Order: sequence, then C-alpha cells, then structure tokens
Amino acid sequence: MDKRRILVVDDEPAICELMKWAFDHEGYSVETADSAEKALELIETYKYLVFFLDLNLPGMNGIELCRYIRKNNPLTIAYAVTGYASTFEVFECREAGFEDYFTKPAEMKTLFNAAEQAFQKLARWRRNE
Amino acid sequence: MKVLIAEDDLTSRIMLQSVLSKWGYDVTSVSNGEEAWSVLQRSGAPPLIVLDWKMPGMDGLTLCRKLRDQDRSDPIYIIILTSNREPNDIVQGLEAGADDYVSKPFDNEELRARIGAGRRVLELSCEVARRQKLQGVLEMAGAVCHELNQPLHVVTGYSELLLLDLEESAPHAEQLRVIKAQVDRIGELTRKIMRITDYQTKDYLGRGHFIVDIDEASSGLCLMNDQTKERTVDG
Repeated sequence: MDKRRILVVDDEPAICELMKWAFDHEGYSVETADSAEKALELIETYKYLVFFLDLNLPGMNGIELCRYIRKNNPLTIAYAVTGYASTFEVFECREAGFEDYFTKPAEMKTLFNAAEQAFQKLARWRRNE
Repeated sequence: MKVLIAEDDLTSRIMLQSVLSKWGYDVTSVSNGEEAWSVLQRSGAPPLIVLDWKMPGMDGLTLCRKLRDQDRSDPIYIIILTSNREPNDIVQGLEAGADDYVSKPFDNEELRARIGAGRRVLELSCEVARRQKLQGVLEMAGAVCHELNQPLHVVTGYSELLLLDLEESAPHAEQLRVIKAQVDRIGELTRKIMRITDYQTKDYLGRGHFIVDIDEASSGLCLMNDQTKERTVDG
C-alpha cells in the first residue's frame, strides 16, 4: 500500500505543526494547509484519502471544503476538528460528509484511532471495488 | 409583583391600595409626583406604576415623560388614572409614555384586567431581556472557548505525545502528567461552557456579586431559580 497520506487543514500554525509531528511519528505522511484555498491547491497535485479539517477557516470554511472534497472523490474520509461545538454543527458536518467530529482539545490517541479506522475502511472499500 | 400608586386623593389612594393588595400585589403608595419619582429611583423599585393624571406639583403626565426620558435598565409599565375621557386627552397620556389608562371613577374589574395586562407585558419583557442576556452569554462563551481551545489542543497534544515516549520513572514525567491533567481540566471546563443552555447565576462568596453558575447553566435541566426570577421581574 502507498504511504498513508493525510491532509491537515487548520489556520493555527501550532496545531498544524503538532498534527504533522504526531502523525509523522505514527507512520503517516502528513501535509498541512492553513486555508481551504491552499488545501485545494494541494488536492489538485497530490492524492489524499484522509483529511482532518478545522471548521473555522479564513475564506472557504471547513464544511464547504469537505463538501468539495467528498463531491470530487466520494472514496475519501474527512474528520472535523473544531474549537467550538454545537449541535447545529454536528448536523451540518454529517450532512457535508464528515465521517466524525472532534472538539479541541482532542486526545491525540482518539485522532490516531480515527485515522487508523479510516485507512482500514478505505482498504476494505478498495478490496470491494 | 410590586406596584406603585401615586394618587393625591386620600380616599382613592386607600381604595386602590386595598384592592391591589387584595389581588396579591405588593403595594407602595405616595400622594404626589415628586414622591413617586423618588421611589422609582431606588433599586428594586416597583415596575408597575399607577399614576393619577392630576396631582399637585409634578403631575402624572410630567412624571411619565421624565420616566420615559430616563435610561432605565428594567422595564416599567405605566397606567394613568384620568377623569379626562376625551380622545385627545387619552392620546396625550399615551404620547407622554403611559402604556394604558383607566378612567375615574374606575370599575374594579376593569382595573384588575388592565393591571393584569400590565403584569403580563412586564413578565414578557423580563423574559425577552433574560433571553437576550442568555444569548449574549452564549455568544461570548462560544468566542472565548473557541479561542482557548486552540492553544489547549496544542498543549494537551504535545503533553500526551511526550508522555507516550517517556518511561514511567523518567525525570519530570510526573510533572508532565500534572500539566496534562490540569490542561485537560481546562478542556473540560470549556466543554461545559459550550453546553450552557440557560442563564443561571450564583452568589460569589455570598456577597451579592452574581456570576454565571457554569455547572447549573450547562446541565440543561435547570429552570430559572426563584431568586433570579424575582430580581428580574421586580427589579
């Protein structure tokens, strides 16, 4: 299998650095973008299957970005990681195609599990293709 | 609910005081506009006011105008008592800031109905104010939590990763565990704040300084306590 690629999108540089450091350690290949627009440029060039998206981004927000990603490639898994939780957001996130929703501060172990499950699911889908 | 009666005629004043008390209102009565003004400047002043139009000194209409010109934080409801039944007079009273009027000599049942309507309007105004206050609390809480959760995520994330790499007995491992536990505590607090659904306060140190009770306000089960309700309705 290709090295498992993850794209993290968050406008907080410290969070991007943390996520990259943590997921690199776990054996994933991680790239980061500080806006949805930069994420779109990366998506044009590289193939990502798993995403961790902040919702509150400057310009295009995480929900719109998720909709775009899922529309263009339904065989992707995106997780929302947000600093503010509300019931409304959970509904909107599910509707936009997010697999799950995590509120900051989130346990890294929980995020590692989410990534692991995402890649297992993708592998299963690929076998059934 | 507290009611203020301002009426210079002793007989009318006693009658009003008597019927309103019988209907369950907490009545304060005065005999002129100046006294009424003074009562209404105190904290916890009655929100429901029955004013005679014609009084020596400051009359009811002048008092109405003065009250409406004030920047009052709590709502008031003013009923003018008048012998003037001409439409122009009624218009003049309403334009001066009265919410309603009762013609003299008044009919008890009409008076009761009009005072009851005033009470309902005041209760509704207090409920609207309470909801606006809650909305303000929620918006502020959301913004603060959102900003706090970013650095918290970074600190808790790095703490967790460092602890995974450290031996149980490594130097500073215990201190790092304490840092992680305390940061997690702040995280729990921001989660609680984001669950606030009601405006609940508690008396901080029992000194009459009220702060939002985060545990109660985020429990989703609480109703406004009587003390808060009494303060908002009766000023």
